[in-house]
Amino acid sequence: MEFKYIAITLCLFLLAFLLYKEFSRASKARLIWRVLANVIAVACFVLLIIPITYNTHLKQSANEIILLTAGTNPDSVAKLKGTKYSFASAEIKGIKANSIPDLSYFLATHKDIRKINVYGYGLANEELKNLEGYGISFHPSEKPNGIISANWLPEIKTTEQLKVQGVYQNSNRKNVKLLFKGLGNSIDSIAVEAKSTKSFSFKNQPKQTGSAIYQLIALQGNDTLAKEPVPFLVAEQPQMKVLILASFPDFEYKFLKKWLYDNQYPLAFRSQISKNKYSSDFLNIDSLNLNRINTASLKKFDVLIIDEEALKAIGPDERQSIENAVNTGMGLFIRISNPKPATALSGKFSRFESPASKYKPLSLLLKDENYKFPRLPLEQTLFLKTARNDQPVIIDGSGKILVNSTIIGSGKILISSISSTFNWLLSGKTDDYAKYWSEILSKTARKKLEIQSVKTFPQFPSINEQTRFVVDLAEAGKVPLLKIDSIKLGPRQNIELPFEWDAVFWPTTHGWNNLSVNQSARSFYVYRNTDWQALRNQQKINLTHLFADKSKNQQRKTATTDLFYQEDVSLWWFFIGFLFASAFLWFESRILDAK
Amino acid sequence: MLKTEGQNWIHRLRKRWITLYLLRIFAISLAIALVLSAVFVYVLHLSPWLSAITLPLVLAILLFTKPIWKASDKDFSRYVNNKYPELEESADLLLQNPAELSMLQKLQLAKIENRISEISPPKEPVKRLYLGLAILLAGLLMSFAITKIPQIQKAYQSVASNQTSAPVMEENIPAEISDFRLTVIPPVYTGKSERKQKQFSVKAEIGAKVNWNIETNIAIKNLKIIFNDKESIVLKPQNPAATTWTFSKTIEKSGFYQLEVEGKKSDLYQIEVIPDLPVHIKITQPKQRTTIDIGQPQKFNLNVALSDDYGINDAFISATMASGKGEGVSFTEKKLSFNTSFNNQKSISLRRQIDLKSLGMKPGDELYFFIKAMDNHGQSSRSDVYFVSIVDTTELMSMAGMTNGVNLVPEYFRSQRQIIIDTEKLLKEQSTLSADAFKTRSNDLGIDQKLLRLRYGQFLGEENETEIGGDHDDHDEHAEGKGEQEKFGDVTAIMDKYAHKHDIAEDATFFEPEMKAQLKAVLTEMWNSELRLRTYKPQDALPYEYKALRLLKDLQQKSRAYVAKTTVKTAALKPEKRLSGELDKITQPVQKMSAAQKDQRLAHLKTALALLESRKSGKKFIEGDKFLLSETEKYMIGAAADNPATYLNALTSLRKLSAGKNLQTKNIEIVQQAIQKMIKGESAKPQTPVALPASALYQNYFHNLNKTGR
Repeated sequence: MEFKYIAITLCLFLLAFLLYKEFSRASKARLIWRVLANVIAVACFVLLIIPITYNTHLKQSANEIILLTAGTNPDSVAKLKGTKYSFASAEIKGIKANSIPDLSYFLATHKDIRKINVYGYGLANEELKNLEGYGISFHPSEKPNGIISANWLPEIKTTEQLKVQGVYQNSNRKNVKLLFKGLGNSIDSIAVEAKSTKSFSFKNQPKQTGSAIYQLIALQGNDTLAKEPVPFLVAEQPQMKVLILASFPDFEYKFLKKWLYDNQYPLAFRSQISKNKYSSDFLNIDSLNLNRINTASLKKFDVLIIDEEALKAIGPDERQSIENAVNTGMGLFIRISNPKPATALSGKFSRFESPASKYKPLSLLLKDENYKFPRLPLEQTLFLKTARNDQPVIIDGSGKILVNSTIIGSGKILISSISSTFNWLLSGKTDDYAKYWSEILSKTARKKLEIQSVKTFPQFPSINEQTRFVVDLAEAGKVPLLKIDSIKLGPRQNIELPFEWDAVFWPTTHGWNNLSVNQSARSFYVYRNTDWQALRNQQKINLTHLFADKSKNQQRKTATTDLFYQEDVSLWWFFIGFLFASAFLWFESRILDAK
Repeated sequence: MLKTEGQNWIHRLRKRWITLYLLRIFAISLAIALVLSAVFVYVLHLSPWLSAITLPLVLAILLFTKPIWKASDKDFSRYVNNKYPELEESADLLLQNPAELSMLQKLQLAKIENRISEISPPKEPVKRLYLGLAILLAGLLMSFAITKIPQIQKAYQSVASNQTSAPVMEENIPAEISDFRLTVIPPVYTGKSERKQKQFSVKAEIGAKVNWNIETNIAIKNLKIIFNDKESIVLKPQNPAATTWTFSKTIEKSGFYQLEVEGKKSDLYQIEVIPDLPVHIKITQPKQRTTIDIGQPQKFNLNVALSDDYGINDAFISATMASGKGEGVSFTEKKLSFNTSFNNQKSISLRRQIDLKSLGMKPGDELYFFIKAMDNHGQSSRSDVYFVSIVDTTELMSMAGMTNGVNLVPEYFRSQRQIIIDTEKLLKEQSTLSADAFKTRSNDLGIDQKLLRLRYGQFLGEENETEIGGDHDDHDEHAEGKGEQEKFGDVTAIMDKYAHKHDIAEDATFFEPEMKAQLKAVLTEMWNSELRLRTYKPQDALPYEYKALRLLKDLQQKSRAYVAKTTVKTAALKPEKRLSGELDKITQPVQKMSAAQKDQRLAHLKTALALLESRKSGKKFIEGDKFLLSETEKYMIGAAADNPATYLNALTSLRKLSAGKNLQTKNIEIVQQAIQKMIKGESAKPQTPVALPASALYQNYFHNLNKTGR
């Protein structure tokens, strides 16, 4: 016999006994009430032991399911009716949900499903592909707490700045300190206030050559919330070749020559002594004939520095070959000192004179970085005007342009009205001098063409997740040889662009991995699955949102049907009934009867 | 023999007494032992085993001073007799054999035995036991307090040591060394006494002699001491057993050293040199530039404060006087001493009055001086140069400025000069004049001065006679206006009341603020001189007159314009003739240079940094890396020899890493930090811009775009 029948029988006996007691009692006052109370008390007691259920139904589209993904808040989905499904990898405590081992398989076996309600952080790109054609409604969980976006260059050159920028989302009630750490030093930090989102930008000039892993550490008091790796490479700088043509040797050239020579840049320097007589210096470079400038000799150089007088003094054919060289990529830096342009090339920039403010040294500003150089003891009267295609490089304190740039063909022309910068060297500000000329030469120099380029997708490749390499080659039609350590990858050619190839790889070890493309090796970093968690969650949310928005446009009909299911009646009701009935009995016998 | 009830009673009493006594003695001895062992272990730092012996010892001593167990039943019967009068002095009857008792005794015994049962046992031993327990409690508290003494001492010491010296670093000492002592003997001039330390890290004054006394626990064949990883010195044993070693060295520069015991190298220990600083000189008086006006005493007070870290040996003033003008300037140098003796004080304040007249200075001359001081080590230092000049009145009086053209307001200037001349004349004639005449003339001069002042005041917009320098006394007029009868309906009157309407007089003129300030100063001087003249003290007025004149002269100089010379006109150049000479014999110079391969240091350090970074992620060093690490170590040794405090830790960490025992991220970080410090500032280098691989497709696109004529 089942337990519930035993319980019912026993309770019936109990009731019979109680009723007998009631009737045999001397006082017959309120007998009916007492009998009633006894019946209620026993009945409630039985129902406390044996819960009762009832059948109910809900209008719901039959072909609609609830999919719980990682990050789902258990409280928010607890009240949801209907069958819930979740991935085996993302089980949520306290929520009963059917586990789905593989989404595509599940969907293939359940053909009737038309709409999916996604809860949590959503799905990754590959999984979303499986949902093509389904109606999606996305209910994201609250914002992930941590760095939700971050970017930096994976490879920089020596003396270049490493810039790490991103956004920190703090949904905690406490302030968070975000610390940028690298090579054993704490470099910079910011504080993110409670319940706020703050963008950060850290800068550092790494001192190593080779790979390094910096860290972004989120701290809350003494607790470390997250420790995200920032891997990057520092590569050696290819050196640019510089040609200087001077109408007469001055100190500006002398110091520039010395600086380039000390930094081991290949440099050819020609200055005029007399008519058709030149003095030439070849520093860190093989000597060549510079008496006449032609396209062939210019091809060997990345930058040509010339003053306007020298540009005027050379023959028209030479000027033409300079212009051709600039058209094909060479950089040209022209120094001017006269308010009237002397050549067509330097005349591309219009200039104006403005009286110098007395006794006021010249203050220069690097326009891109807003970097302020120390003052130069010059009285500058000559300034440049901007035209439509110009990009100012150096401006003075009041915004007047001193160095301007424009593009011609695939090359660049810079023009400068600053007569001397060597004063910085004389006053010991070597770093500023280096910064100025580095900036000028970087802006001017011929672009170096890469033989190949590799892009890695996703931004943070991690273990056991698909990683795609996209390789761009200079020559089309040749199959590149892609290798990771000793594993050969099979590249696939892009249908439209014959020089673009891609290959897929599933990394197994975290840290630096080597990818070799046609024998040239390069490192890429594989992250742990726990790295950049907040960012990945945010990306998932964004992707799923995007996908859901897209699928809204192609809304499908979903049939609604009644969904039957059983529901328990809450035990509290019976308990209350039992309590009241017994309370009445007690009260009656003690107080009402006692009178 | 069967014991009687009385005998039993006495026995029980004795047993109880002795038990309680023993308990009491145990409690007391425990208390004493606790206190004693606490003192031994925590204060005298003896072995903790000693406390195990103290308790039995104290117990034995206490027990044998009063051997209670020797107290027989008889003693107790006597005690009972004393204590309880109801026993009627018959307690000893209880102890005797009842058979041997006489009749009377038996009667008495029977009487007492009845009473015995009613007598309660004595309370005394219990009370004493409580006392004993109280002593135990006190002992416990005391011993607990004693255990806390070292902590309190430590706290005091740490406070004291924080104030005096740097915290003692933990050092690893080779196991063979049982004891060592370093004696630092600072140079004599520092006046510091020698000090001993049980620490290998040395912080010594420059030139100090350091003695190492090392004792080893076993005989050692060779013990070396290596300085800066370069200089290796083999020590000789001081005793035949080869366990005592000494070494001494004079420390001249910072660095580090290590011991090598039987070929095993110890940790690195740093040597830090405390440099001897030169004397610090601070001149509080006079100011860097001082001008002595006419009438002021031609002397000044010099106040100097000198301080040095060990002692000042000597200090003097080096003075140079410049006299003459233009090309005829002559210089005379003099060494002036402070008339005090220097007894190697650490700081001293000196003062001296310098009489310019006695130095032979005339008006118009200038005195340049600086102070040179020497410390007791012979290091000298000198102060900035200070200037004192005496104003030349003759130049002020000269007409040189007046005669050549620019003369804006000559009459006023002449007037001030005239007043000075008149004042001097008056002073000269004072003896010949009657007192009244002198006073009248002085007063007249005062009036002249006043007129002059008023005239200058006009430049400042002052029209009111009473004001100097434009203080607005007339603010009161608004207040006075209240009393007047009010004019109803007069708009301007109402407006006047609320608006501060009068002009600001000063702003009506065309002078620059700077000039105005100077004019005001002139007026103040004139006002002062007028005051003295009117009170018949022309002698006192003279300095103010001169000062006023000097300021006026300056004003005059300021208002002058400077016109440069015009250029010389030369014959015109013929451009067609220029650079037309024959140049065929002139060769074209060609220089060719290649920068020598630079020091590899920077490249090595940078690669090492990346290498360490890869080690952090768990990669082991391979053979090639060993070379790089040894190179890095070499550079770091060099750095550590100069700055042991900064790099010594890193060097130790680097060696640990090279040994490659176990990976510790902290070590790597220390080394990385040090390497970054060694690399220091790296200035920017031009960045070659990079373009993506240019396939033919892109090129074609670009060319076609160009062709369409952008």
